[in-house]
Amino acid sequence: MKKFKLLTTFLVMAFMLMLTACGSSETSGNGDGSDKEKKTLRVVTDAAYAPFEYQDKGEIVGFDIDLIKAVAKEAGYEIDIAHTGWDPIFVELEKKIADIGISSITINDDRKKTYDFSVPYFLSTNKIMVPEGSDIKSAEDLKDKTVAVQNATTGQEAVEGLLGKNSSQIKKFENNNLAILELKAGGADAVVADNTVIEEYAKNNPNDKFVIIEDKDAFAQEFYGLMFSKGSKIKADFDKALNEVFDNGTYAEIYKEWFKVDPDVQLLKDQQ
Amino acid sequence: MDIQWSILAEYAPFFLKGTLLTIGLSLAGILIGTILGLFIGLGKMMKNKFLSFPFGVYITLFRGTPMLVQIMLIHFAVVPLFTGGTNGIAAAILTLSLNSAAYIAEIFRAGIQSIDKGQMEAARSLGMTHVQAMRYVILPQAFKRMIPPLGNEFIVLIKESSLASLVAAPELMYWGRAMQGQYFRVWEPYITAALIYLVLTLSLSYVLSRLERRLATE
Repeated sequence: MKKFKLLTTFLVMAFMLMLTACGSSETSGNGDGSDKEKKTLRVVTDAAYAPFEYQDKGEIVGFDIDLIKAVAKEAGYEIDIAHTGWDPIFVELEKKIADIGISSITINDDRKKTYDFSVPYFLSTNKIMVPEGSDIKSAEDLKDKTVAVQNATTGQEAVEGLLGKNSSQIKKFENNNLAILELKAGGADAVVADNTVIEEYAKNNPNDKFVIIEDKDAFAQEFYGLMFSKGSKIKADFDKALNEVFDNGTYAEIYKEWFKVDPDVQLLKDQQ
Repeated sequence: MDIQWSILAEYAPFFLKGTLLTIGLSLAGILIGTILGLFIGLGKMMKNKFLSFPFGVYITLFRGTPMLVQIMLIHFAVVPLFTGGTNGIAAAILTLSLNSAAYIAEIFRAGIQSIDKGQMEAARSLGMTHVQAMRYVILPQAFKRMIPPLGNEFIVLIKESSLASLVAAPELMYWGRAMQGQYFRVWEPYITAALIYLVLTLSLSYVLSRLERRLATE
């Protein structure tokens, strides 16, 4: 019995030690986050979304990445970009572990309840990707088909709007690549996702013979924004910096480098 | 921590459906895995090196690679090879069965080999054939020793079935992730899923401990 007691005391002490260790590291992290004037911001992204953010031999690159670097420089902040996957972005920002999320995040009212967004920096719409020769011609045709989407994206919301929430015809995947693989393997009839991503995929993989369908009536225009924790103090700095990047041509330069066309900056500024 | 009960209530039917599928996947995996595992285990114990070699390779492959990789390969490459399309549920059952078979084969082998050689010799000297000796003397004793590791494997299997969510088989974890994705909340979906998994594994270990007690000789 005595031995048992000793062991318990030891265990409890070890546990408390662990707890205090965790606690102290957490507080020091938070202290970093709010006190110092010039600090390194933690930027989180889901680097599996070419050409916006993806990993090139372990390096996180993409349009969003170049943009956030330019904007942060303009705003006078150091940044540290981390690939966390899609869902953790939302958790980290809510818990204020990270300062900024940039990952082709569409600004919408639901998300605005929990997070703050910058001014829009990118226009996007959802489009439908189908194999060549498919009888799907519009969003209406998806009604009796199986559709693969990325979980928790606006593509999923758009399809749920058509087929019903949690419909068994919708297959939700961790990311768009898996959804496209599912389409390729014959497990789904279509993929609905942001136009740039599936257009890029279709362009890079001509052998797969995928066709992209646009349906302006079914899928609304969407705008991407930088995402911040609710009540974030740095939001104003980044809004200002984004506008400066729009005005001084840096935005157009980065846009052209990644998408080979000129952006409609005026359209974005009209949204503010 | 604020729990939003309303969204939990909304997702309750999905969690129920998901739980049923999780139970189904795990049971199928356990049953097919045990049968396959028995044959593979016996196969590996064959004296002929050439005959036993492929069984050894099988065990090495499935025990030596992550289940995550196996389920992706089976879902996107193996199942379409046979059916021309993907099927998350089929892929999950196949992966769980094949993977657990490798572990169960080793559990069988260990159980049988743990029985003293004298038992076989004594049975044979009573006039039993090799098969009879196996069936009436060795296996009953070995089985008793195999229950704890088998129970372990079954519990692992139930938890591993959550990987099926990655290939969109609508089991428990899939709905947890769907709920998380819809409301961007972490506690409600994942704690619910964790509790349900805990209930499943606890019930299984209860059944196994009952079985163990019934078979106890002392």
